[in-house]
Amino acid sequence: MASAYISMGEAHRRITDFLNRFSDAVSSQDAKSLCLIFSISSNSSFLLSLSDALITFQDASRVMRQADRYSQYADILLPLFRALQSYRLKNLVESYQAFEKAANAFTQEFRNWESAWALEALYVIAYETRILAERADRELASNGKTPEKLKGAGSFLMKVFGVLAGKGSKRVGALYVTCQLFKIYFKLGTVHLCKSVTRSIETARIFDFEEFPLRDKVTYMYYTGRLEVYNENFSAADHKLSYALSHCNPQKERNIRMILKYLIPVKLSIGILPKTSLLEKYNLTEYNNIVLALRRGDLRLLRCALQEHEDQFLRSGVYLVLEKLELQVYQRLLKKIYIIQKQKDQNKAHQIKLDLIVRALKWLEIDMDVDEVECIMSILIYKNFVKGYFAHKSKVVVLSKQDPFPRLTGKAVNS
Amino acid sequence: MATEQPKPATVDVKMDLFEDDDEFEEFDIDQEWEAKKEGKEATQQWEDDWDDDDVNDDFSLQLKRELESNTEKK
Repeated sequence: MASAYISMGEAHRRITDFLNRFSDAVSSQDAKSLCLIFSISSNSSFLLSLSDALITFQDASRVMRQADRYSQYADILLPLFRALQSYRLKNLVESYQAFEKAANAFTQEFRNWESAWALEALYVIAYETRILAERADRELASNGKTPEKLKGAGSFLMKVFGVLAGKGSKRVGALYVTCQLFKIYFKLGTVHLCKSVTRSIETARIFDFEEFPLRDKVTYMYYTGRLEVYNENFSAADHKLSYALSHCNPQKERNIRMILKYLIPVKLSIGILPKTSLLEKYNLTEYNNIVLALRRGDLRLLRCALQEHEDQFLRSGVYLVLEKLELQVYQRLLKKIYIIQKQKDQNKAHQIKLDLIVRALKWLEIDMDVDEVECIMSILIYKNFVKGYFAHKSKVVVLSKQDPFPRLTGKAVNS
Repeated sequence: MATEQPKPATVDVKMDLFEDDDEFEEFDIDQEWEAKKEGKEATQQWEDDWDDDDVNDDFSLQLKRELESNTEKK
């Protein structure tokens, strides 16, 4: 897009206008105005018209030198001007580099200010840093160069985090920056880096987690919940993702869906099923057959459902969690066989011949011999899915008369 | 077998994608909402007592037929 023609006089006026706005915002501690000033990616008409002026005027530093109240912020404003200009001209790598310089200079000022009045502006800066870095990386990649700006943005935001994470009123902003860092680390696949920030957030005695803003708590719990899923800490994952779910803004349906995408496998693994209405409302129908397989004890259906959505489940990293549901499905199948036997003969029902299980599996088109079934049964007994013992010689599982199929509701299976 | 899968595979998958499909949408900076009541709808959509003794569904009936026909053959 070519910039509209503007006269030098008009360009000068716009630049002066902007400089006044900035210095007024700082002197009157008006964070909202600063937010608008730093929101490069918002493409606001205010910033676009300034960018055009900067392109026309070329040498904005001359205007800045005209007054002390401008020039004292030159470290912030000159790179910000370059960032705006480059952004307008679609030089995204240059724009990012200049913006990071401006952001760094602003963070230094912020550090020296006693109060946290400019926190919202720092939020905008953290967000813009990430977004501009992503766009710069896309530009680099499309020119065949190594995308590296997002990684750089991560290092810079760690510095910002350091400014906030101490004691005092600024600490309330640390969680927002943490969430921006999570987004970067998850995108880059460097999730191990999350640990250094979560440690600082979770071990701090000086600040109660509940005091952070709600939106940041929800985002934080979503990401740390996902980390717990990867680490197979299912009860911690359940706690965190459930927190995110119950506190999420109900209008953000896409976020609720994302939370559920991870919470559902976690819930399934502790024996809790989502209702069909939930799956339908959030269009998570890839879980329909998995839930049905658990209800039925239908091993074949479980395997088919996993295969059908394999790519999807692998991408989100829940495949292994879902694969482990097999044991629950075996348990359910065995329980059904037990109930069917019981209807016929109350007295002998607690003895299940392995042969019978082999036949049931064959009916489900799963070929397993008696030895393999024996192996599965011993795992079920070992992991307390089944209470009973195994009579090796007679090839019979002898079920406990009391509660032979313990429910695992709410408890994670030790793997 | 389901229980003996090596663990690290999950994280590796993400590594080469350089993309996160499930990036959480930003909440507006000054967006606020009632903390509890709304999430309720989604939080109440779970069942933990589904593991009943009912064997009258189609799947169980077929299973029953299968097991019994086999027993008779024997």
